[in-house]
Amino acid sequence: MARRIRPAALIAVTTALSLATACGGASLGTGDGDKQNGPVKIGLLLPQSGIYKALGDDMKQGFELYVEQHGGKLGGREVEIVVADEGETADSGKAAAEKLVKQDRVLAVSGVVSSATINGVKDLFETSKIPLVGSNASPTTLTGTSYIWRTSYVNDEPGKALGKHVAEKAGGPVFLIAAGYQAGKDEIEGFKSTFLPAGGKIAGEEVYTPFPGTKNFQPYLAQIEKSGAKAVFCFYAGGAAVDFVKQYRDFGLAGKIPLYAPGFLTEGGVLKGQGDAATGILTSLNYSADLDNAANQQFAPAYTSAYGAAPTTYAMASWDAAQVLDKAIKAAGGTVTPESVNAAISTVGDIDSPRGTWRFNSGGTPVQPWYLREVKQGANTVSSELGRLGG
Amino acid sequence: MSGWLDGNFVSVVDGVAFGLLLFTIAVGLSLVFGMMDVLNLAHGTLYLAGAYVAYALSDGTLPGLLLALLAGALVGTMGGTALTFLTQPLARRGHLDQAVLTLGITFIVADLLAAAFGGEVLPTDPPTALRGTVDLLGHAYPVYRLVFIAVAAGLALVVYLVFERSSLGALVRATVADRDMVRALGFDIRKVLYGVFASGAALAAVGGVLGAPILGPGPGVDETVLVLSLVVVVVGGLGSVRGALAGALLIGQVQTLGVALLPEYAPFLLFGTMLAVLVVRPNGLVSSAVRT
Repeated sequence: MARRIRPAALIAVTTALSLATACGGASLGTGDGDKQNGPVKIGLLLPQSGIYKALGDDMKQGFELYVEQHGGKLGGREVEIVVADEGETADSGKAAAEKLVKQDRVLAVSGVVSSATINGVKDLFETSKIPLVGSNASPTTLTGTSYIWRTSYVNDEPGKALGKHVAEKAGGPVFLIAAGYQAGKDEIEGFKSTFLPAGGKIAGEEVYTPFPGTKNFQPYLAQIEKSGAKAVFCFYAGGAAVDFVKQYRDFGLAGKIPLYAPGFLTEGGVLKGQGDAATGILTSLNYSADLDNAANQQFAPAYTSAYGAAPTTYAMASWDAAQVLDKAIKAAGGTVTPESVNAAISTVGDIDSPRGTWRFNSGGTPVQPWYLREVKQGANTVSSELGRLGG
Repeated sequence: MSGWLDGNFVSVVDGVAFGLLLFTIAVGLSLVFGMMDVLNLAHGTLYLAGAYVAYALSDGTLPGLLLALLAGALVGTMGGTALTFLTQPLARRGHLDQAVLTLGITFIVADLLAAAFGGEVLPTDPPTALRGTVDLLGHAYPVYRLVFIAVAAGLALVVYLVFERSSLGALVRATVADRDMVRALGFDIRKVLYGVFASGAALAAVGGVLGAPILGPGPGVDETVLVLSLVVVVVGGLGSVRGALAGALLIGQVQTLGVALLPEYAPFLLFGTMLAVLVVRPNGLVSSAVRT
């Protein structure tokens, strides 16, 4: 019932908004024009409500921290940040993106948590020629774009980064289990693409748990026990990550069968929720708050003191998105328009990031280092580098 | 013990725990819909409120849990009473109006709860004394879930005795069957109906307190719980305590044993079961004795 009524309301709102904006004028995407020293308007498309709100908050904080650390300016121009609520669905995300592009006339947009949203707004950004410097969502299917960049990673990369390592360490078959939606499938496929060539063996069948809605993982944990697996590779994020990790401990698997996963399993607020149950979990990610480099020394302590929690990869990618825009607006020089900024993004080169140095590849996603992390005393700690991906 | 049962015993036990949790939640929905004819889509929200109460008050001690149970029952009773007042004017306008109103309430309350507790799942740990695992045929099983089975089975028994074996229950059923007659006998119909709504709501909130370590509070849990409850009510049959229990235990096993045996069919098992039951018994496993 809930599913049937909500989209209807959203469609109504979307229609109303697009009608309202259609009357507003036909010229799209010219931004605020190019008053040499006036402020530039940057849109943040982030969930302010619903199940992805926590990620949206992290990303908002990361972006705002960078702007704050640079005197409220990007590329030497005052910044006005406009936040629009991505919500939970592609429909709500699209409505918010249309508002930023057509009504607020922003110079560029950053953010986007959900893969469904970024797929849904792809055409909007491509046709209105406004750059979207995405800082999270990056499905494998998103290709062939000229105005969409991501400072995060492609969805199958965390799995890819881990495959070879697990094949070497597991010492037997590995059980694969993931949330049954696109991101889960991307991660499992990515993992298999490096795990199987390295000689890894899968225990039984790979399992996709219904998403959302799986709260009780007991039957799947029973499957894992029965399969005789020597290790588990799983993909969960958000609330499911908390439930899975706690039940992995509650049903006696923790400490018996090592648990590997893409970093979201233990990233940010979920780690606090998992408490002791997360100890010893091994994850792959492009960032860890304890990384020792100059950019992270500028980022992590400032973030922690401003927001009372260690920065996540979501916050870091958003801080980097602000950095990319900073460089691109500066490079665009005298004529700051969405198109000149977009052209400048393709030439920003090496980004000195808290994750280590990275650069955009031809697909608009980072070529970057990946790390193996272990949860120790309630925090992710880097134990080794897994190599670079994205090239 | 060896073979089939050995490998699946833990899933069978866990199915009972999950089924009893579903019963505690769904029985209120079933009674309110089946007896008062009010479709309350805010039922999952009552569970969520209870789960947040458990989160807020749990301090790792047994008295903390008891306090949370009392507070949860109070919150549930208040919520149920408020819902009665709000839905009463729509009583004659049919289920769609009730559905829209109560669904609107769930959105508002869910946003308020998210504003107060944040957007993340807040897992609640059981009291220290009930943590850890016991050995069930060589497999680890959480102590808390065994304790939960005992407590929820006790609750189910009390609900059954009150609604289907006591004179109070007879009055409720008589009210549904023939209001004029009960009114003529000098009873206040409205009090009876309010009582059913409030106690059903209190049960859902108490389910939230007890169930928090199993289905922790967080955005979206209300919808999960509501959908599962609706499935239980449809499968079990409306307005009957025995039906809710039968439906809940069946769905509990489908969601644990069924999923353990047929993980590749997990997304379809729940609604496949509902379909199968409806084909064989369109009124649910136990048809209500009181509604005609």
